[in-house]
Amino acid sequence: MNLTKRSMFAGLAATGIAAGSGGAPALAQQRVEIQFWHAMSGVLGERVGEIVKRFNDSQTKYTVVATNKGNYDEVINATVAAYRAKKAPQIVQIYERGFMAMLLSGAIVPVQDLMTEKKKQVDFSDFIKPVASYYQYKGKLMSMPFNSSTPILFYNKEQFEKAGFSAPADTWAEFEKQLYAIKSKGIAECGSSLAGDYFWSLMENYSTVNDQPWGTKSNGYDGLDTEFVYNKTRLVQQVARLQKWVNDGIIQIAGQGLSPQQLFTSGKCATYFASTAAHGGIEREPTIKWSATYLPHEADLTACNSSIGGATLWVMKGHKSEEYDGAAAFLEFLAKPDLQVWWHQVTGYVPTSNTAYRMAKEQGYYKEHPTREIAILQLNRGTPTPNSQGFHFGNYTQATFALREEMESVFANKKTPQQGLDDAVRRGNELLRQFEKLNAGKY
Amino acid sequence: MRASTSLSPAMPGPVAAVPRRRKVASAGGTRGLKRAHFREARLPLLLLLPQLLVLLLFFFLPALRALSQSFVLTDPFGNSVQFVWFDNFRSLLASPEYRASIGVTFWFTLAQNALTIVVSLVLAFATDRILRGRGFYRSIILLPYAIAPVIAGILWAFLFNTAVGPISFVLHGLGIDWDPNRHGIDAFLLVTFAASWKHICYDYIFLIAALLSVPPSLLEAAAVDGAGPLLRFVRISLPMIGPTIFFLVVMNFVYGFFETFAIVDAVTHGGPGGATMILVYKVYIDGFVHIDLGSSAAQSVLMMIFALALTVLQFRYVERNVNYDV
Repeated sequence: MNLTKRSMFAGLAATGIAAGSGGAPALAQQRVEIQFWHAMSGVLGERVGEIVKRFNDSQTKYTVVATNKGNYDEVINATVAAYRAKKAPQIVQIYERGFMAMLLSGAIVPVQDLMTEKKKQVDFSDFIKPVASYYQYKGKLMSMPFNSSTPILFYNKEQFEKAGFSAPADTWAEFEKQLYAIKSKGIAECGSSLAGDYFWSLMENYSTVNDQPWGTKSNGYDGLDTEFVYNKTRLVQQVARLQKWVNDGIIQIAGQGLSPQQLFTSGKCATYFASTAAHGGIEREPTIKWSATYLPHEADLTACNSSIGGATLWVMKGHKSEEYDGAAAFLEFLAKPDLQVWWHQVTGYVPTSNTAYRMAKEQGYYKEHPTREIAILQLNRGTPTPNSQGFHFGNYTQATFALREEMESVFANKKTPQQGLDDAVRRGNELLRQFEKLNAGKY
Repeated sequence: MRASTSLSPAMPGPVAAVPRRRKVASAGGTRGLKRAHFREARLPLLLLLPQLLVLLLFFFLPALRALSQSFVLTDPFGNSVQFVWFDNFRSLLASPEYRASIGVTFWFTLAQNALTIVVSLVLAFATDRILRGRGFYRSIILLPYAIAPVIAGILWAFLFNTAVGPISFVLHGLGIDWDPNRHGIDAFLLVTFAASWKHICYDYIFLIAALLSVPPSLLEAAAVDGAGPLLRFVRISLPMIGPTIFFLVVMNFVYGFFETFAIVDAVTHGGPGGATMILVYKVYIDGFVHIDLGSSAAQSVLMMIFALALTVLQFRYVERNVNYDV
């Protein structure tokens, strides 16, 4: 204990000296510690470390301690366990699927309320629409947008040119013909590699882009008595298409022990539907000439905005006022446009505010990296409808899991697309009712 | 000390005949594990105490906790809790997915058990016949036991991966449509093989020890009478190591039921379409990934009941055919 304290003071003194240009070195006052749990590993984890270091160096009152608690599932689990033991961190990064669970948990402090109370300068109207709408409840942001992405279509330029196409087609029907042509001409072994989060990129986002409802009550925004309805929309056709692709070897399932991205970057598959955050990994692989474009849409429907994925930062209940001061200061720091621009450029996530986007554009960043702009253009396309603003469903990780299981049965031809989606909806609705029962009157 | 029979792994099988015990068995009518005889109660209780404490802390208290949780519906953070009587159990038993999971677990445990015991018996029998390099051979067979289940799982998943796995290339070359990502049966086989492979060494080492304790005089006598190695194995060694085999069957069953979680997690994640969703993995997914504590607790309770019932059945019907007295 003593030792830690001493080394902390030593560290403080060192920062004081390093930062002390001119003025007296910072007094060794007790810094308030803010725990920040996140799910960013590898390069992303290093970037989070850089942000935290910058914040800690920028002031002398607070020390943010960032800890990687594993993947998103593990972070929410660790948070739950810590909360029950009354040892929750002040700030925690939770994925978009956990929104309703966090919102109604009774364990959080709404971020916008906190920032207003602590008089922090954050322009909440500046967040890009699909981000703001996803994390809003009754007009207020509940958590701080941090890493947001959206799926786009990566493709192998050489293979498309070889097949006589300049780029992937805009519509699913034309795009399908291209993939079959590429495969039948033997240019690539498979047309596309099925990403692990296909339920998000090829199903949920198919529905948002084509303005198809996923559930009733504006995808759950208007009440807990929402029901899934995606078994009655154009999604059925989309799933039938995917099933056909799997059967014809047009789309390859990577399976355990192999990353789907490798199938694309090695040139085996010609396209890859993935999060724009995959940029970081794909750019590092020099083996193929690639580019990216928007998600396809149905020819007879107008393309809407796509929806986001990723995570936000939640502030947990039960801490001291000075700790909330620190948490608010850190969140304010994160929302600054210049930090947003940097984060966007080093990670591939989208800038979450319009100002940050404008700044990146003025820097000429998108002239050098045109594919980095696709995600934000796609997110800002058109006016969000009740079907494209986001997904507010309770028990949503479980419902998604059920959907994935049913999709596996569809891919195995054990169920027809209609049967699979019907079963997923039945299982999902049971979960929704359970959530409604538990949280009656809270939303 | 009077031999009190137990399924002691270290001392399987044949000791010299103990006539006294046979008498007890028939007189008391107790089958299987027979009662030990102690005159006074205090010493045995005292000796049992440390183990009972461990059981209390790591089994009874968690089990009670699970039981109490299985009757409530709760949000992850525990801020709203509703007592729902048997709703969690009812919705589990009504769910086709849960019933499918019971079926998968049944076939998986059975297949894994049979495969493990048969292969390790063959290996143990073969080791007995090897004269040169026996130690080396044994070490090789024991190696998988030193590998963490997750690593073992990833190894198998990679070797049999449809797109890049060397073994699946061979299978495809033979015209077999191998695809564990899509075909439930392929995924099931893969998980069964991986789980058995990991556990064969465990069975093997017990069988080797048991085979060593078969009195050579019996085997020699049989050899003089003209019985070949295989016949000697089947007619003499096998019955004599019966208690060990029974012990291993019970252990394999426990292993398949509870400890194969990591392998499933690494190889298939319970897919495709629930084809490898064994009960213990479902408990994990619902409890630790989806944080549905009520349902997960109810599943644990049901699993406990299944495991108890099956163990009792094994002791009643299988152990009847095991002879401890040869």
